[in-house]
Order: sequence, then structure tokens, then C-alpha cells
Amino acid sequence: MTHPKLTYAAQGIAAMLLLLAAGMKFMGQPRSVAIFVSLDMDPAGRYLIAVIELAAALLLLSPFAALGSVVAVGVMCGAIIAHVTRLGLVVNNDGGMLVGMLVVVLLCASYVLFSRRKEIPLVGDTL
Amino acid sequence: MKSAITIDLEKMSRTANIGIVLLLGFFGLAGYFVSFYFHFLTVAFLLVVLLNLYWRHGQTSHALLANFGFMAQFRYIVESVGPELRQYLFASDTEERPFSRVERAEVYRKAKGIDSSAAFGSLLEFDRTEMKLRHSFYPVDKDAIEPFDVAVGAARGLDTTYHIKHPIMISAMSYGALGENAVRALARGAKQAGAAMNTGEGGFPKYHLMEGCDLIFQMGTAKFGVRDEDGRLDESKLAALAARDEVKMVEVKLSQGAKPGKGGMLPKEKITAEIAELRGVPLGKDVISPAHHVECTDATSTVEFIGRIQRVSGLPTGIKFCLGRTDEFRAMVQEMKRQETVPDFITVDGAEGGTGAAPKSFMDDFGLPLFEGLRMVDRILREEGVRDQLVIFASGKLISPGKQMKALSLGADVTYSARGFLLALGCIQALQCNRNTCPVGITTHRAHLQKGLDIDDKARRVANYIEALHHDHVDLLAATGKSSARQLAEENVYLPSRAAASPSGQERT
Repeated sequence: MTHPKLTYAAQGIAAMLLLLAAGMKFMGQPRSVAIFVSLDMDPAGRYLIAVIELAAALLLLSPFAALGSVVAVGVMCGAIIAHVTRLGLVVNNDGGMLVGMLVVVLLCASYVLFSRRKEIPLVGDTL
Repeated sequence: MKSAITIDLEKMSRTANIGIVLLLGFFGLAGYFVSFYFHFLTVAFLLVVLLNLYWRHGQTSHALLANFGFMAQFRYIVESVGPELRQYLFASDTEERPFSRVERAEVYRKAKGIDSSAAFGSLLEFDRTEMKLRHSFYPVDKDAIEPFDVAVGAARGLDTTYHIKHPIMISAMSYGALGENAVRALARGAKQAGAAMNTGEGGFPKYHLMEGCDLIFQMGTAKFGVRDEDGRLDESKLAALAARDEVKMVEVKLSQGAKPGKGGMLPKEKITAEIAELRGVPLGKDVISPAHHVECTDATSTVEFIGRIQRVSGLPTGIKFCLGRTDEFRAMVQEMKRQETVPDFITVDGAEGGTGAAPKSFMDDFGLPLFEGLRMVDRILREEGVRDQLVIFASGKLISPGKQMKALSLGADVTYSARGFLLALGCIQALQCNRNTCPVGITTHRAHLQKGLDIDDKARRVANYIEALHHDHVDLLAATGKSSARQLAEENVYLPSRAAASPSGQERT
């Protein structure tokens, strides 16, 4: 059902996009600042999320990819909540680009999570 | 009657399953109306709720999780630390297996060179089912005890006759089963104390040889290190190994106490380039250790094979087995007499197990226990009149001087221990020898675990242990009234089976 090569590819794509997102947040790119301002979380929340995204990306590239995928899925769920409840699907007239990226990361991370579910610490044995 | 403070775990888990959904909703609302930061908790609970839904409705292999949800996880978590908690807190000093804390503590103390006497009575229970040593009214002066000296190979008049100077030797443990540091610490300790060490069946003993101690080369059924491609004996390899100064004796392993009658398999995942070279096996292929030497199919061929090893190696050569059928052993001894080929020593391994990983039934249900097997081997050899042509080694949980003395009284000339020396190295009996996760770095090849095993420090402990055992051996021997271990006999041991068999409960002697 799952293929090791596909899993690695998904890990790579998710990690790359997460690194990109974390980088934009760290550098204080105006668009992401605007997003976090509208969430009342700038700048502390922006850095916090950036750190979590960075950690997820690094974990996805390490032997602990299963853990990384859990973190990535969690961050993406949070982002979806933000878009659905506050930001809307189209942000700064990007035609849904940001949400599209988010969905890609969520799908990739979910795929990794599923194919590596046995490796998740503590609960992996039961999945 | 239901007490007011009863905890109803079922109700609690049901409440908890609903509770996490309510909390998820609560944090979602708080994230929407109060602060977006609450959504960190929303996300965490969302994942937990999804996982819990899967446990309760999506899976069928864990009944507890299906019935009670995530609260049932606590059972698995607590259970997983059970072995540690029992060992640290709850197991009594005398009940652990294979070695109780009392037994282990004695080894630790000997290894560290501190006093191992105890006060206010023994912690063991005495109910006349245990074997005891019998002392004499007339103990011998310690100065009158002859130095320990067992000559192996003397009966054949070999130039290479080996003199064993300690009543205890380090039993067979190969590189592979043990990590590099553990092997070197044992070998260095053996060198310091002047004791002999068995290499185990792990092939060319590269790490054993590094420290220059006296070695007994063990040849298992797969003949690692001295085999050709088909697993038959390669005489030139054996001769080259036997020509080395450090190698003093050769032991042909017919069977072992941990899994008598069973072979083994070395899975290809465990065969590194180094292991392949040392053992003489190909890379990337599972290697079978057969249940018996391919050359040995009956008494005749087995004795011929022993004779062949004696000729090729030129060293004192013996066999090791865990006794199964006494009739087969007697037939083999008779065949030895017919061919005039008697091994220079016989190692009797008790079925108590050992360090080898083995299927549980083989560990628990096959083979004779050491003391019984030892007595039978000794008796059969005496009855066949060849007892004085060879030396008997005994192994099987002989980690304390008292047990060693019992083995010496029941027919052994020298004792072997493997696990006693692991304890001296710092083994904490974590029972993970077959998982490469040994927490004290003995039975593992992982560098970060071996880091804690300092070769110099542990070698000293190994030497201390050997010397302390020898010291106690002299003490115990003096108490029996014998001036040499050779004089020990069954009369020095109280065998409870006789008392138990007697209707009056009185011992018959």
C-alpha cells in the first residue's frame, strides 16, 4: 500500500516546504508578518511557529521522520484552523497559493505519518 | 459492599473518552474567541481524539484499547517498566532468576575487592532440599593445602600439556555475542590473574588474542574460523591457530546447556565484514550452525573426529556437551577405549542455560542439570576405567566458591563460569543479551553503550574475582579436611535427594 521511495519523496517535499515557510517567518517577510498580526500573535507566535516548522522539517529528514510527520500534521492543522476561522482561503490576493502549499504539506506529512505509523514513539506498536 | 473510595476504572475511562472531546471543543472555542494561542491545545487534542477514535473503533488487535480507549495505554506503559521496578524495588534479595541479588552481590564484592562476609544469618531458606558441603572435624591448616594444579594432556604425555593454576576459568563467550571491550577486559583480567579463557565458537579470536592470555579455542558445530566453504573442518586453519603461543587447548563443542541438541542460525544482517572474516563465512548469506558436527553421526565417527583434532592441533583436546542420554555417553566412552582415543578433557555443561540465546523450550526443558550430569559422567568414566586419562571441567551457574566446591566434589577437576565473569564486568542482569541493547555495554556492539565499559578498570575486577574465588577455594578446601582439590569426593557433599527419598526424612548415608 505504501512505497518506501514515495515515503522518502513525501518527506523531502514536506520538509522543503516547511523550511521555506519557517524561513519566511524568521526573516519577517511582510506577508507572513501581516498574517500573524491579524492573528494577534506577532512576533512571538511567528517565531514559535517557525521554530516548530523548522523542527518538523529536520525531524522529517532524520531517522525520526515518524515523529516529524506528527509535528508537521499538527502545525498544518493549526494553519487550517487559522485560514478557516480568521484569514480566509485567499490571503493577500495570492489566489489561494498559501493554502495550496499548506494542503500539499498536510497530504505529504499525512502520507509519511501513515506509512511510518509503526515507528511513532509510545503508540506505534498499536497502530 | 461498595466502598466510597472505590475507583471504578471503567467509568473513569468512559468519562475520559468523553472528556477529551469536550476539551477539544473548549479549546477550539477559546482559540476562536480569546486567543489564537489556545489552538495549540486544540491541535494536540484533535490528534489525541483521532487516535482514540481509531483505538476504539478502527482496530481489532488490542481488546483493552478497543473497550476503554486511551486510558488503557497506561497499562502498557506501566507494564513496560515492570521488570525494572521489580528489580529495583519489589523483588526480594533471594528470588530473582537466574541470579538473585544476594548471589550477584557476592560477585560484585569479590570483583571490587571488598569484604563479602554477611551478618545475622543466611538469607536463604533451609528446608533440606538444598545441597550442602560437609566440613570435617579436622580441618587442614591452610598452609598445608597444595597449590592448585591440574595438568591437561599429561595422560598422553604431550609436550603441550597445559597446567591449570586456578580452580575457575572463563567459559565460552565469543566476540559477536560480546562486544569488543567486554572481550578485551575479560582477556586482560585473565592475563593478570594467570587464568585460562575459552574463546567461544565465534571464529578466529582476534580480540581474545590481543591481551595475550591463555586461550582454549572452542570449535562449534559450524567450525567458525576453521571451516571450509561447506562448513567442514579446514585442517590447515586449525593447525595455524593451534600453533599460536596463546592457544593452549582445543574444545570441540558437541552441545551446550542453553540449547542442547539444537543448532543455530547467524542471520545475514548480523554478518559484518569483520565477522565474516573472523568466522570464515560469506557476506550476505544466512549461516547455519548445524545441530551436530557434519563429521559426527555416531560414536565411531565422533571419536575418530576427536582423534583427528588431537592429531591436527597437537594440543590437549577435549569435548563439551550437556548430558542427555547416559547410554549414548557410555557407548561413546567404550568406543574411545576401542579406538584408544580419549579426549584430554570433557566439559560437562549443565542445562541451567548460559549466555546463549535459545528457544525457551530448549532452555527450560532439555538436558540434565549440572550436578546430576556431572555425577553420571564421572561415574561412567570411572566404571569404564578411563577417568584418570582425562580431566573434567564443569559449567553451569557456578558463580560462587561454594557451588564450585560442590562441582569439584561431584567429579569436576576445574570449573568454568561465563555469567559470573559478566557480573564481574558489571552486568546488572537486564536480560537483553540477544538484543544488542545491553545497558552496561557487554553484549552489544553499539559504541555509545560500550563507552561505559572501561577495559582497564573492568580487567582489574575480573582478576580480583578470579583471585578472590581462589582464596575462598583454599578456605573451603581446608574446612573439608582435604589438602588438595583432587581428594574431594561425593562424601564432601550432602545430597538432599537421599534424605527426601527416605521415609523417615532421615538422611541415609
